[in-house]
Amino acid sequence: AEVEETLKRIQAHRGVVATMVVNAEGIPIRTTLDNSTTVQYAGLLHQLTMKARSTVRDIDPQNDLTFLRIRSKKHEIMVAPDKEYLLIVIQNPCE
Amino acid sequence: ARFHGNPRSGRWEPAGPRPPLAAMFADGTAPGADVESLWRSARTARCEAKSCQTEQISTVETAAQSHTSQDAAVQTDQSKDALQDFQQEVQVDYTSLLSFLQRVEDAVIKELNKNWKSRAFDGFEVNWTDQNEAVLCLHTLSYPEAQDQNLQVTSVSWNATGSVVACSYGRLDGGDWSTEKSYVCTWNLDRRGLNPQHPDLVVDVPSSVMCLAFHPSQPSLIAGGLFSGELVVWDTSRTEDPVIWRTGMTDDTHTDPVYQVNWLPDAKHRNNSRLLSVSTDGKILVWREERDGRLALAEGFAMVAQQIPRSTWMKKFAGGEAAVGVTSLSFSHFDHRVFIVGVEGGYSLKCSTAAETLALHPTRSSVPLRAPAELAFSPHGGPVYSVSCSPFHRQVNLFLSCGTDGQVHLHSMLQTQPLISLQLSKKYLFCVRWSPVRPLVFAAASGEGNCNEHFCFIGDVYLFDFEKSSQKPAISIKQAAGECPVYCLEFNIKQTQLLAAGDATGTVKVWQLSSDFTEQGPREVNRLEQLASEITD
Repeated sequence: AEVEETLKRIQAHRGVVATMVVNAEGIPIRTTLDNSTTVQYAGLLHQLTMKARSTVRDIDPQNDLTFLRIRSKKHEIMVAPDKEYLLIVIQNPCE
Repeated sequence: ARFHGNPRSGRWEPAGPRPPLAAMFADGTAPGADVESLWRSARTARCEAKSCQTEQISTVETAAQSHTSQDAAVQTDQSKDALQDFQQEVQVDYTSLLSFLQRVEDAVIKELNKNWKSRAFDGFEVNWTDQNEAVLCLHTLSYPEAQDQNLQVTSVSWNATGSVVACSYGRLDGGDWSTEKSYVCTWNLDRRGLNPQHPDLVVDVPSSVMCLAFHPSQPSLIAGGLFSGELVVWDTSRTEDPVIWRTGMTDDTHTDPVYQVNWLPDAKHRNNSRLLSVSTDGKILVWREERDGRLALAEGFAMVAQQIPRSTWMKKFAGGEAAVGVTSLSFSHFDHRVFIVGVEGGYSLKCSTAAETLALHPTRSSVPLRAPAELAFSPHGGPVYSVSCSPFHRQVNLFLSCGTDGQVHLHSMLQTQPLISLQLSKKYLFCVRWSPVRPLVFAAASGEGNCNEHFCFIGDVYLFDFEKSSQKPAISIKQAAGECPVYCLEFNIKQTQLLAAGDATGTVKVWQLSSDFTEQGPREVNRLEQLASEITD
């Protein structure tokens, strides 16, 4: 229940288009989008996050990835990584 | 004389009794010499019928059949809990999930807020593809003979496939009487051997052509309106005589030059289109094609000063039934019965083809003329030369109008005051067109040549982008050196990066626009709606 509330709070933020939680294997756990899109985002972003993390650690082994933001023409994708989960939030930037 | 020939050996021996002397020379008529005519028969005379045949072709018929057959079917089993499986497979440990979310929530919210307020990426654009950075002049087309006669380009038009550009030569400053010949030239830009000085097709026209329009779906038909008030339709695929229809000079034809011609889709016969012509004699006529190559009047409208709404503004036209000269017309893209006209008095008027009231026009015509005006918008300081309806905005139809006061007004069809008024130049603006791709872009052609003290807008073709600025043009393109008004321009609907502009020196320049003007931004239509509603509020 608290999980749902937290996710609702994030989803209700200004400009947020979608929110999803993905586990360490890239399988979506919670999502506000339809199935196929979620699976697509989950798979691709999981791989990208792993790649980003290994890039940061390769440059400096003491460092680690804390947050990943991808800005595109249409929106901004934010990924909060963790050992077990990934939180993905898609936001429309201000206009 | 007598022949002293030997009577016996006989060359001159007469057959019967010798004729009397006098009768040896007698009047006679000899039958005329006949030469049989060889026309048509000569061919057959020289022809021979021959035939040949191949040898027998051997054919064989065989059939094959499978010995054994088997039926098999395959089908997936619908699993009822498909969606739930998806979720249940994953063993979710809610406590760890909760702690994860609690850890990241603050960071994410902070980032969301920062992002919402951030201006860091404003105007930041990345080019992934080969972008055309600048506006290039791809082709400079001209017809030397017409240029020698000092003719100007009065109108350009792209054909239905977007590969042929046609221009008409004439004179726009000719005054009331003009018996100059003019030309209609076409160039096919996709052809390899394109010679810019040598049009693919040149049509000689006895009178000055003021406007052109290619048929929207048949790539070879082109209609033109003449200075004499006639309309002519040419078929560019015919080599002997390209004229296929004309109105001729009848009671119905316009008495003033035709300034704009449009093709209308015919409601009854899908294949045929009708032609609409607009002239300064105040009439807007719709023509249909007759079989003998004539264009006959199907419907007509007439603009009379008395019947225009808000007649308090029309104080100038004290003579009650004065015809109001129409200079331009544009149909709404969403409601095909609504059209906007620009008149010489400086007004833009919203009209409808469904109007019922008869016009009080002085001249007679075979078809009753109706008064179509419904709403008059606030006027320009001089005649309106061009109007253009936006192809994008649905709810609040927007249109642009430009005129001799050098201003462009952006109007919404719902209100009389303009949404935006832009003073683009001090000279006349001859043509304004919306971009077919980007809802916020339009182009205007002006008579401005050089830099002015107040306006540093050097150039003749202005491209405006409301996204970038609503005050000054995004790009000013100089068409030709020196003071040379640009009279007409058209966007290419199929190849959206091309813009053709014709000027007074008799050249047509085809400009390739930079990618800014050809790629639609993410939410441009919404932006347009926003712009419209911001200003109306």
